[in-house]
Amino acid sequence: MSQGLNYEFLIDTFFVALSGISITLLVTIVSLIVALPLGFLLAMTRINRIPVIQRIAQIYVSFVRGTPIIIQIFIIYSSIPLILKAFFDKYNIQLDIYKINPIWYALIIFSFSTTALLIEVFRSALGTVKKEQLEAAYSVGLTTFQAYRRIIIQQVLVVALPNLCTTTVNLIKATSLGYAMSLPEITLNAKVAANMGYNYVEAYLDIFIIYLILCMTVEYIFKVLEKRLSKYKMANA
Amino acid sequence: MVSVMEKYFDISYIWTALPSLLPFLKVTLFVSSITILSGTFLGLILTIFKLSHNRLLNKIGNGYTTIIRCTPSIVLLFLVYYGIPKLAEEFNVNLQNINTAIFVIITFTLQFAAIMSEVIRSAYQSIDKGQYEAAVSVGLSPFQAYWRIIFPQALVIALPNFGNGIIAVLQEGALAYTIGFIDIVGKANLMITNNINAHALEIYIALAIIYWALSLLIEKFFSMLEKTFSKGKKTLETT
Repeated sequence: MSQGLNYEFLIDTFFVALSGISITLLVTIVSLIVALPLGFLLAMTRINRIPVIQRIAQIYVSFVRGTPIIIQIFIIYSSIPLILKAFFDKYNIQLDIYKINPIWYALIIFSFSTTALLIEVFRSALGTVKKEQLEAAYSVGLTTFQAYRRIIIQQVLVVALPNLCTTTVNLIKATSLGYAMSLPEITLNAKVAANMGYNYVEAYLDIFIIYLILCMTVEYIFKVLEKRLSKYKMANA
Repeated sequence: MVSVMEKYFDISYIWTALPSLLPFLKVTLFVSSITILSGTFLGLILTIFKLSHNRLLNKIGNGYTTIIRCTPSIVLLFLVYYGIPKLAEEFNVNLQNINTAIFVIITFTLQFAAIMSEVIRSAYQSIDKGQYEAAVSVGLSPFQAYWRIIFPQALVIALPNFGNGIIAVLQEGALAYTIGFIDIVGKANLMITNNINAHALEIYIALAIIYWALSLLIEKFFSMLEKTFSKGKKTLETT
């Protein structure tokens, strides 16, 4: 075995791994776009105690928070082909389920788990906004939709931002498990490169640095956002 | 005609898989317990760093937490698994035949310590400084003040986060199979390989059930603990 680090490989692989960043970001951003409104709406069902849906939402959140994400990936990744195959066979659709781009699986899985995490984030944030805010909005003639759009959501977002940041960072980190469905993101790219010359330490150092930069950037963006939105913070909070 | 779902998915197999998986829960729990103990200890040291008046120690404590928070578990796990033996090699120490459990414990200790340092720090800082001053003013030694006055109050505040941290480390630990560690997830993957990939979904569902039940149990346990320990808190507030 060679002594020390292979610096040439370290630098080359850095760029190989970096080429996966577009997939990582795509999965992260699309999952957030799906999960933000869905999480908010489901959080509303819990706050307003809407019978059946709130119970389902509760179990859903409990499942996602109670099981490792890798096992959620295993379950969804092995059940979707079965369901699709049954569906395709029934309707005689000639499509090869094993040719589906893994990015679709990744989007489904990460939207699924992020939505559940955001339900909790929004639920606790909604709980901090006083009921009088809504009543005051009604009393000046706003509709429920207007009240939420103009009065409530801003306040909820300010409170939720730190947790949103944590969820986003965790989501980016979770996409590193995309290797389990052969998604060519940062980790898999580095892994493949490392397999050729057994330069594992170099490859993992590379992705370590990439995730560090990526997550610190996200944290910085959220800090800036928080400052911008802080005007919506309640005076007594 | 038998539909494809029925042919490939056999719900009763979940119950057949559970008894083969459950004995391996011991491995998972054993490794997690050591991780929690050593991680809490390291977390305590990091908290002392963070709260110290020394700027360098502050930077180390906070920098460590940021770095760990930004590193996916799988990356940390592989860095430890490949990096430590390589580093040891530089000093002519051969670690090639070491038990993989050691690497699992080191990885998740590093991670749990970062979580704990934040849990302990926020709990400690939530206690009013006047509590310590009052304790010292009635003649307690600084150690007694910390042990008898600060610690019990900080503990109640830290408990829910401590519980969440344990659940988190248990779940991240599910990745240990990637370096060939045979815990409950490793066993599940072995079973699937032996089945030539049949019944994978059922085995994974069985795994999910075990983890889910475990998380709920830990949650319940900590909310019970919290209730028990908050009893003292209430009397403090009323007096």
